[in-house]
Amino acid sequence: MEGLITSLSELTGTNLSYLFNGKHLAWYASVRFTILAAFFGAVLALLFGMLGASAKRSSFAPFRWFGSGYITMVRGVPDVLFFLFFPLAFEQFVEYLFSLNACTVAERASGKWPPCNAAQWYLSTSEYFVMACVSLGLVYGAFAANVIHGAMRAVPESQLEAARAYGFTKRQVYWHFQVRQMWIYALPGLSNVWMLLLKATALLSLLQIADIVQWAGKLGAANYFPAAGLVHGDWRWRYYIVLFLFYILLTFLSELFFRKLQKRASRGMALDQ
Amino acid sequence: MNIESIVATHWLSAVVNDVIILFKPALFNIYFALASIPLGFPLAIGLALMKNSRSRLWSSFAGGFIYAFRGSPLFIQLFMFYSIALAFNQTLWKPLGIDDFVLHPLFLGPFVLILNTSAYAAEIFYGAIRAVPKGQLEAARAVGMSRSQVFRSVTWPNMLRLAWPAYTNEVVFLFHATALVYFTLPVINEQKDLMNKAGELFEKDYNVFLHFSVAAGYFLLISILIFFLFGLVYKALNKHLQHLSDSTDGAGKMKFRPNYMR
Amino acid sequence: MRKIKLKDLLSSRSSARVLLAPMLVAGVLVQSAFAADVRIGTEGAYPPWNFVDDSGKLAGFEIDLGNAMCEKAGISCEFVQNEWDSIIPNLLAGNYDIIMAGMSITEERMQTIDFSSDYFPPDPSRYAAAADSDFDFGNLKGVKIGAQGATIQADYLEANFKDGNTLLTYETPDQSVADLMAGNIDILLADGEFLNPVVEGSAGKLALVGPGVEIGGGVGIGMRKDDKELQEKLSAALAALKADGTVDKLIKASFDKETNYANQ
Repeated sequence: MEGLITSLSELTGTNLSYLFNGKHLAWYASVRFTILAAFFGAVLALLFGMLGASAKRSSFAPFRWFGSGYITMVRGVPDVLFFLFFPLAFEQFVEYLFSLNACTVAERASGKWPPCNAAQWYLSTSEYFVMACVSLGLVYGAFAANVIHGAMRAVPESQLEAARAYGFTKRQVYWHFQVRQMWIYALPGLSNVWMLLLKATALLSLLQIADIVQWAGKLGAANYFPAAGLVHGDWRWRYYIVLFLFYILLTFLSELFFRKLQKRASRGMALDQ
Repeated sequence: MNIESIVATHWLSAVVNDVIILFKPALFNIYFALASIPLGFPLAIGLALMKNSRSRLWSSFAGGFIYAFRGSPLFIQLFMFYSIALAFNQTLWKPLGIDDFVLHPLFLGPFVLILNTSAYAAEIFYGAIRAVPKGQLEAARAVGMSRSQVFRSVTWPNMLRLAWPAYTNEVVFLFHATALVYFTLPVINEQKDLMNKAGELFEKDYNVFLHFSVAAGYFLLISILIFFLFGLVYKALNKHLQHLSDSTDGAGKMKFRPNYMR
Repeated sequence: MRKIKLKDLLSSRSSARVLLAPMLVAGVLVQSAFAADVRIGTEGAYPPWNFVDDSGKLAGFEIDLGNAMCEKAGISCEFVQNEWDSIIPNLLAGNYDIIMAGMSITEERMQTIDFSSDYFPPDPSRYAAAADSDFDFGNLKGVKIGAQGATIQADYLEANFKDGNTLLTYETPDQSVADLMAGNIDILLADGEFLNPVVEGSAGKLALVGPGVEIGGGVGIGMRKDDKELQEKLSAALAALKADGTVDKLIKASFDKETNYANQ
């Protein structure tokens, strides 16, 4: 590896080894947080989306209100607000539950937070990461819920009627006909949600996760202190341009993937795509 | 007075207090949106027309611009433009005497927001242009209208009518995007937006539910206001078009239902 | 002190576990080792106190001191990086157990956290500006003056130069220096020992100007108020390191500055 870098450096006449020092390697490695958060966020968004859409379609009115309320609330505020709010709120909610048992009435009335030390729930970065994924899932789940809700209604009623006429049970009709066909209608919308979610992963650094954005800032920051490594001026703009291009590349790859998926999903379907 | 009512009044006064404190910060978010829309709108129309133009050069330029700004996070775009603007400070802005202006968040914030929103809106308008009924275009040409006449009397009104609901949605997204400005740009004096101030209040007493909920309330309220105002415009657009277009597709009613795509 | 992990909360619901297990694994990947006894929160962007060097590792005076202290106390330690503006809230939230981040001991901070005795003496804050500039600090008007947000320096500017000047606050020290170098602010107020290497490395572009400003006490370890046991353990270790001259030696190595903690 090092030999390769040296020969490449000679070939291009620049010092490429700088781009492969530990700090840069840490930056490249931090891409995993972006990918992992996007992946788990998407899985959860799909789950919450299904739940939200089901709630919205439910024949039981309170479920319907809950579904619509969830979608409207999350959609009405910026993703960054919810992204920061959810982990903090969840932590305090858990602490509140603990405080009911652990703290005295006087402590709970004191207005201090948390009311007593026994109710303190200490979180580490790894737990924040999990919460970041859940936040992404909740926010974009609301978007997915709307897409799925619309797609469910797009499935031709005649097909479902035909299925019922053939004697399929309600459950079978739902899963094998409505949900099966819903995906084709939902895919374009869901690919759009994925793009939004992917871009939202840039916010991970706000939850103190050392992601690509945070490392780019650290690498680009001017260094005047020889003990810290190469002394250089403010190079942040270079690193941010790289991030800008990196996200465009991710978008491009996602588009390719979804195009393939769409083709596969519509195979054998009576659709004029 | 019993305990419950004391708690209730205390709770309510805390909310009222936050609503008052966060009023001025909310104006900053409104400012960012208001400063971006009037320029973002024409720029988006221009980009959409460019992308639709027959010239390969123009359409690929507009297409590339739209792709780049829709394909990357605004958060990074803000960081990128600030650091680039800073790199040119000594050589460009200072000699021109506009450095204070260029690097000011109240200028640079809307600048980046305009680039961002015009890309999203351009894609909406582009889609609308492509959806203009072919029959109307042919009819207009058949009666001998010039290209600019066709544009003015057919393409433009149809495009606006078709794109308006999605554009409304984009404006709400833009308003929400203003929350990111002060995460990336320096804060000058007491110029803080909703997220900034809510975060500051939170760090004092750790009451996340109160401060973030009030901030969320402001965002929700203004989002609803945007839907309402743009809904009025939509009504006006369609009323005016009623005699031009023979559309009976329920035009004129924009349902009060937020859309979900950007 | 009771520590509750997310895992405990989930143990009852198997369906939740199925979903969250891979996420916890991913979470562990985020921060591979949290087996250390004590986690030390630091900014990692404040040379010579704490910084990330080109090998990608945390280094600096506080990293050396923290490791020496933990060795003395016989506990394992691990550094956690955290942005400055949320460094106290995240100590209280438990992301880490103590703060070593060039944090000055102030009355205001002592309302929410406890401090050890100082391990770096009070250091006057300094103004840095373009080398050819000249300011009348007794009557400063119409200048753009900056500091990192949520610092004693930011509070000082707010209290003294608010009228007639423009105050800018930054999320990170890097950003404040970058804006000074690029000329977006005329003056930057920061810890003297932080500005020294910046001015030295600026190739003559920057200079320290005006008087030194005495704000805040020395630099100490920030700790949660309820962590009495840990506080005592670390204070004892720190006292031992002061007495045997280690603190003086480390300060000399990082700052080239003579101190006398050994004979206090």
